[in-house]
Amino acid sequence: MNWTKRYPGWAMFAAMIGLLVFLWGMAVPLSAAPAPIGPAADQFVEGARITVGLTLIAGSVGVVIGVLAGLGKLSRFGPLRWLCDSYVWLIRGTPLLLQILFVWLAFPLLMPEGIELSDFACAAIALSLNVGAYNTECVRAGILAVPHGQVEAARALGLTPIQTFMDVVLPQSMRVALPALANNLASLVKDSSLAYAISVVELTMVGYRVQAESYQPIPVFITVAAIYLILTTAFTTLTAALEAQLDVGQKR
Amino acid sequence: MNGELRPIIEARRVDKRFGAFHALKDVSATFYEGQVTAIVGPSGSGKSTFLRTLNRLEMHDSGEIVVDGIVLNDNLKNLDAIRREVGMVFQSFNLFSHLTILRNVSLAPMRVRKMRREDAESKAMSLLERVGLKNQAAKYPVQLSGGQQQRVAIARALAMDPKVLLFDEPTSALDPEMVNEVLAVMRELAYSGITMLVVTHEMGFAREVADRIIFFDEGVILEDTTPERFFANPEHDRAKSFLSQVRHGY
Ligand SMILES: Nc1ncnc2c1ncn2[C@@H]1O[C@H](COP(=O)(O)OP(=O)(O)O)[C@@H](O)[C@H]1O
Ligand SMILES: [Mg+2]
Repeated sequence: MNWTKRYPGWAMFAAMIGLLVFLWGMAVPLSAAPAPIGPAADQFVEGARITVGLTLIAGSVGVVIGVLAGLGKLSRFGPLRWLCDSYVWLIRGTPLLLQILFVWLAFPLLMPEGIELSDFACAAIALSLNVGAYNTECVRAGILAVPHGQVEAARALGLTPIQTFMDVVLPQSMRVALPALANNLASLVKDSSLAYAISVVELTMVGYRVQAESYQPIPVFITVAAIYLILTTAFTTLTAALEAQLDVGQKR
Repeated sequence: MNGELRPIIEARRVDKRFGAFHALKDVSATFYEGQVTAIVGPSGSGKSTFLRTLNRLEMHDSGEIVVDGIVLNDNLKNLDAIRREVGMVFQSFNLFSHLTILRNVSLAPMRVRKMRREDAESKAMSLLERVGLKNQAAKYPVQLSGGQQQRVAIARALAMDPKVLLFDEPTSALDPEMVNEVLAVMRELAYSGITMLVVTHEMGFAREVADRIIFFDEGVILEDTTPERFFANPEHDRAKSFLSQVRHGY
């Protein structure tokens, strides 16, 4: 952790490269492993890629949703505020599994004819909406934590409201919101496993299938757990480094 | 003397309420190019509110404010134009805490004046040199003392080449030993010919540097005169008691 604080740029770089190398190269040690892991190496790799894909997509879309809805919640325009409040209330008050099933089963009925969503897309949409609602609260708190004098200074210099938000308010609010956003991202790695319910073959589903074929749950689930731990560690390092990067100018 | 001076800010019958509280009562004043005006008065008398209506950080309820020929109203183009011409220095500095000193000074010229980064930064460096902080450019605001931060805030305001600089108690948040370094920069600015409106409790500075003193009391301008007359012979009892309090209290 100290290392991430001292060299945030390098830590971010290392975590990202590490993640890529891992996704690329994990097949090599896995296929060298004895049965039941070795023969199923490709499935594990594919499952890990799906899990990381879901996490990255829902993670990024979720941050955008969080910023927009967080701003919406602070809007002076009543209906917009109401809409964002309702969204957060709805998502936080219902189980993620229900949301995933809803997108999978109910969206096709609501969508116009001819548009078909893949199972993966359904999972990505549900996870984005879910993490977005949790991010909304963090972003809102972050924005409220920015002292009003910062906005006044920017406006007095002639910056437009959008420039003031992008150059001053957003970066400063992120410094406050980031630990909580990072938490949500780490949860997302694990929450994405619920996509198995709509037959997305992510990492947990792979483990389930492989142990069902081999009747050896212990080595299979240990392998799955190890892969999850490597993924969550990479994401945590990434966000901790980003935090250290943004922290610049706050302490020291 | 006013015949040869060009008005830069005209406030006519400006009125402002906060709910039931009447903060500015029919305030009128004209400020001329190159003039240094000290705005003094008891706490809560409306000095900050008046200053803040001039660049619309506060909206006035009625009356008219004209800055450099542009009427301050709901037209956003006018507002942007005015904010570019009027710089402001706050009591609490309000430097952008996530940006280096150099970025603090170069941000607005890049965003608002669309200056190229190198140009904005070399301009920022020369302004930092002017306030004596060239060697602090790479640091962050928290790493600087209050007096240094306020000097950066002055450089940041100057970077937009404003026609008028508004100061709202620029030394009130400072430890006593840092007040003079900020006043020295302001004195240099005043002599360079920039139009300045300074809300201050520093009577020594007001007396020495200002061309004009405005005394606020309970939302009205009670005296609008020269420093000589104001300090030697104030007309109103409220001004007399204010002066005697300031002399003994500050
Ligand atoms: N945003 C606000 N809401 C309500 N009252 C305010 C607000 N800003 C200032 N006031 C009130 O207006 C009066 C004048 O304030 P101000 O202009 O800051 O005085 P000064 O700068 O002379 O000390 C004070 O009584 C203050 O409480
Ligand atoms: Mg004040």
